Amino acid sequence: MKKVLLLVLTVAAFYSCKNDKEQTSTQGNGDQEVNIYTHRHYPSDQKLFKRFEDSTGIKVNVINASADELIQKMKIEGAQSPADVLITVDAGRLTRAKDQDLLQPVKSDVLENIISSHLRDPDDYWFGLTKRARIIVYAKDRVDTTELSTYEDLASDKWNDRILIRSSSNIYNQSLLASLIVHNGEEEAVEWARAVVNNMARQPKGNDRDQVKAVVAGEGDIAVVNTYYIGNMLNSDSEEEVKAAKAVGIFFPNQDGRGAHVNVSGAGVAKHAPNRENAVKFIEFLVSEEAQHVFANSNYEYPVNEAVETSQLLQSWGEFKEDSLPLSRLGEYNKKAVITFDEAGWK
Amino acid sequence: MRQAGNNEIFSIKNRLKRLKRDSNKWALLTLVIIFLIALPVISIGVTLFAGPGETWGHIVDNLLLDYIGNSLFLIFACGFLVLLLGVSTAWFVARFEFPFRRQMEWLLILPLAIPGYIVAYSYAGIFDYGGTLELVFRYVGMEPFRLDVMNRGGLAFVLAVSLFPYVYVSSRAFFLNQANNLLEASEMLGAGEFRTFFKLMLPLARPAIIAGLILVLMEVLNDYGAAKYYGVNTFTVGIFRSWFSLEEPETAVYLSALLIVLVFGLILLEKFQRRKMVFSSNRTNTQKIRRKRLSRRMQWLIFSLVIIPVLLGFIFPVGQLAYWAVLTYERVFNMSFLLLSLQSFWIAFLTALATVFVAVLLIFFSRWSRMESIKNTAKLGVLGYAIPGAVVAIGIMIPMIFLDRWLMGVLDSLFGVQTGLLLTGTLFALIYAYVVRFLAVAYNPIESTALKVSETIPDSSKVLGVGNLKTFFRIEFPLIRTGILSAFILVFIDVLKELPLTLILKPFHVNTLAVKAYEYASDEMVMEAAIPSLFIIVTVMLPVIFLNRLLIK
Amino acid sequence: MLKIESLSKSFDKGKTYALKNVSFDLEQGDVCAIVGESGSGKTTLARLIAGLETPDAGTIIIDGKVVSSLKKQVPPEKRKVGLVFQEYALFPHLNLFQNVMYGISRQKNKKERAEEVLKLVGLNDIKERYPHQLSGGQQQRVALARALAPNPSLLILDEPFSNLDSMLRMQLRNQIFEIVKNAGVTAIFVTHDTQDALAVADEILILQHGELIQKDAAANLYTKPNSIYVASLFGNTIQLCQEMKSAFQCPLNPDCCHAIRNENLTINSECEFVTHARVLKKTYLGHDTQLLLKLDNGQQLTVLTKDRDVAERIKIGFNSKDVLEFHS
Repeated sequence: MKKVLLLVLTVAAFYSCKNDKEQTSTQGNGDQEVNIYTHRHYPSDQKLFKRFEDSTGIKVNVINASADELIQKMKIEGAQSPADVLITVDAGRLTRAKDQDLLQPVKSDVLENIISSHLRDPDDYWFGLTKRARIIVYAKDRVDTTELSTYEDLASDKWNDRILIRSSSNIYNQSLLASLIVHNGEEEAVEWARAVVNNMARQPKGNDRDQVKAVVAGEGDIAVVNTYYIGNMLNSDSEEEVKAAKAVGIFFPNQDGRGAHVNVSGAGVAKHAPNRENAVKFIEFLVSEEAQHVFANSNYEYPVNEAVETSQLLQSWGEFKEDSLPLSRLGEYNKKAVITFDEAGWK
Repeated sequence: MRQAGNNEIFSIKNRLKRLKRDSNKWALLTLVIIFLIALPVISIGVTLFAGPGETWGHIVDNLLLDYIGNSLFLIFACGFLVLLLGVSTAWFVARFEFPFRRQMEWLLILPLAIPGYIVAYSYAGIFDYGGTLELVFRYVGMEPFRLDVMNRGGLAFVLAVSLFPYVYVSSRAFFLNQANNLLEASEMLGAGEFRTFFKLMLPLARPAIIAGLILVLMEVLNDYGAAKYYGVNTFTVGIFRSWFSLEEPETAVYLSALLIVLVFGLILLEKFQRRKMVFSSNRTNTQKIRRKRLSRRMQWLIFSLVIIPVLLGFIFPVGQLAYWAVLTYERVFNMSFLLLSLQSFWIAFLTALATVFVAVLLIFFSRWSRMESIKNTAKLGVLGYAIPGAVVAIGIMIPMIFLDRWLMGVLDSLFGVQTGLLLTGTLFALIYAYVVRFLAVAYNPIESTALKVSETIPDSSKVLGVGNLKTFFRIEFPLIRTGILSAFILVFIDVLKELPLTLILKPFHVNTLAVKAYEYASDEMVMEAAIPSLFIIVTVMLPVIFLNRLLIK
Repeated sequence: MLKIESLSKSFDKGKTYALKNVSFDLEQGDVCAIVGESGSGKTTLARLIAGLETPDAGTIIIDGKVVSSLKKQVPPEKRKVGLVFQEYALFPHLNLFQNVMYGISRQKNKKERAEEVLKLVGLNDIKERYPHQLSGGQQQRVALARALAPNPSLLILDEPFSNLDSMLRMQLRNQIFEIVKNAGVTAIFVTHDTQDALAVADEILILQHGELIQKDAAANLYTKPNSIYVASLFGNTIQLCQEMKSAFQCPLNPDCCHAIRNENLTINSECEFVTHARVLKKTYLGHDTQLLLKLDNGQQLTVLTKDRDVAERIKIGFNSKDVLEFHS
């Protein structure tokens, strides 16, 4: 009995390893393939991968995990890493990957022409694919729009006990603080974080959607959230979420100054990419009008390809001025931002 | 007793001679297995020597107290709740007749089928603004009432209702099989139901209860998803934060080491406490407990008490998930989802086989090794359970890559073959990591059934001229089958639910239900996570019910 | 046949010894008993001989072959030693026949041999039954049959009768040792009961706290114990302390230790040393009567007697030939 089990086990284990080996060993032979390490896991992406496969015949293999974990994985795998493309949902992680020598520069006219320069790496190590803005939502009945102005203003006393914002372990918050460090200097950023912690209506918890709901529930008056979550909420399966999202007003901060903080979801080619050409093709495909159209319409992100219109919903929120700070700077200050958060007691 | 000659018998020279005599192949094989299991810990331990990262001081100044405070709070709050729920239900089910008692027996295990972080999401959904509870209140025309669960108290509650079955199962086994004659003696001495329970049963069941409790606390300390979502900074959250947000694996390793110290501290504390009172009960006494029939009214009272944890730990969260699933199934459910479920199932199956196999090897090789020190070393095999899944995963990758590079060099120079990474990123690496992580889950039930078999039984087989291996197949395996089967099922369940380790080590083309659920949830599509979660629950439910029947036997 | 040289075993690295420096020999066909109280190390000795434990020092030689030493440890399955455990250790998932067949599965006439030994213990008729369907005595006999089946060169029985009631025990004791003697096998019988040992063994070893304190023929042990401990193992013994000696006015060497067996004390009859005593309390024990005596010099003494109707005041005494003398 046990012997049979043992036999089954070894055969099965061997079979599964072998299976994988076949797949990896084909990589070198010019068989058309591209291996994606991605933090994005939206149905829209799967749709795009499928379209890429259909139009080019290049098979897309995907590993989904958080960008941090993917970076660690690539680091450990080193020269043997099967990764061709790394996709993250923020620029900071891409800069980190670049700094840790995990990416390689790509010279592509297609990419350079389509993506405006502040949304890609100055040395062409990575490229933004879609944009999200970090905005303020407010309770229409309790907040007058004239009260709202800038991110910096969130530190003022009038917001005491009124601000809702999620945990500092969230990358979008880290990016926002990094941008404040770049613009206003470290000391002011520390002061700002301290003051915002003081103004919080409750300890940070939950995700962006929860912050919106908490505004509607009256726990606080304003919340700092990402645009595309609002888009998703407005199109949610749950009536309650739709109601909540409709109940809040949307405000783009710093419109009189540098513009609202934006971040990108972006991609870079791995340093040891076994399928470099396919990787470049793949990224080029993702910024093509066809692909950008899918991004814009199914996931409520702003396309980086300006030839593509934003979705109806996003248009209804109006045009806005975006901060043109090169996103590569965010990565430089990411760690500083995390430490600043901790020191300010931002959970 | 110490006499002349003692020094000579235990002189270094004679000790070495005995060591040489007693170091048989089994001792060697035990050490090999232990080495392989400890390898990730060792590779991480080596990095400890590199010193902590530069942010270590920052963490100590700003965060460490919070981590310790929250983790200790969870240990005590969750521990208390789990004991309350687990032990009381076990006693009611074992001791009294009441309506639907048979159904309750297995219903009480079902909360184990739901990963803790998913329970956390569903409770957030229930108590949320516009959440289910509010809808229900509005529907019946009452003023909506809201409760904030997203804090550390709520986290303790959520983890407790999903983990109490560990304590329920272990204490019920004691009550069912060990307690009867003591119970009767207590009744003869005129002790009432309360006195019997608090003065007699509770202290006697303590080792069984603690065994379950330790499993619960390990799970609590390992939890990442729920704590992160509820905004509670625990050690594990800190490990992820320093590893990934602060980019300092060295610091994460220091935190892991502290966490391990905490876990071992707990275990030692318990051991020390227990040493003061050694209870042994007669092993041959296998008389089943006699159930008491109370008045009809009392029976329904007990029923309504026992159903509370079932509602909290299973029916409410599953109800919430089912509601979400109805909303989202059109988008989530399709053919590739079914394939994914099958893959998930297959991986869990394979891993459970491998883990049970290694646990059996470890237990029996160390028994055959003739050396006490080896037998004690074997217990180190369970250490992976105390280490967060993500840490195990990274700890596996380091030596794997090293080995892969070496293999590549060898193959290249010998045969001129260019290969990629042979081990890393394969199912083998993933299953290896699972085995390290869940060996304790398989080790404990197998060892405890093996201990129930009197040592003289395999001994007499050997005296009759039958070697170790044959004795195992012909005598021990048939006698510990149920332990092996329970171990298999427990590992199967845990693998299906496992998340952080899978995220890091899973190969291309492989995906699991837990990963799918997490992907949705981590991108704020909690509702979409409902269907994969329900699939996990259904897949786990059947073996859980089966396991219950095994345990009652 | 069996030769044991300065065997020692400690379970706590030398703090205490379960067995300390034990040496003895056995000849082919001997039936030897190892007697000791619980904790005296007798089971450890049996397990060492069987190879289930490894010694810390010393040598075990069976049939001229070293099986245990500092350099070597032959595993139990290669020793051809039969062992019957105290709790029988029958395989619960195998029936009687399968249990007996277990150790001889590689022999040629295994079925015949199994039936032969089952007949020997009188259980061939119920060989299809499982251990839990048997009485304690039957289980005991199966365990013996199982151990005898492979023709062991040495058979060890570890407390084989301790789980049985006294009637069954006597019956089975005689039956089993008849079987053992007929089989001509060298046997070691481990027991705490001297009655059992005297009934079946040619030679007896006494263990105390892990040390061998006397090895002698059965008859000698009773008459010439080398210590008061051994003497008292074989029957109610009264130590003759200085006060007792003076009460009986017997001039014994004060440097030696002396004792007298209860059955050698005589009541109301003539002998060398006598004294008078008052009966404080009489307890009927059926076969015997227990008397609590107060001697004239005030010493109290408990003795057993067959005489039920002793008077209030009695004369009590013994002869010098019955005095046991120990040099220690």
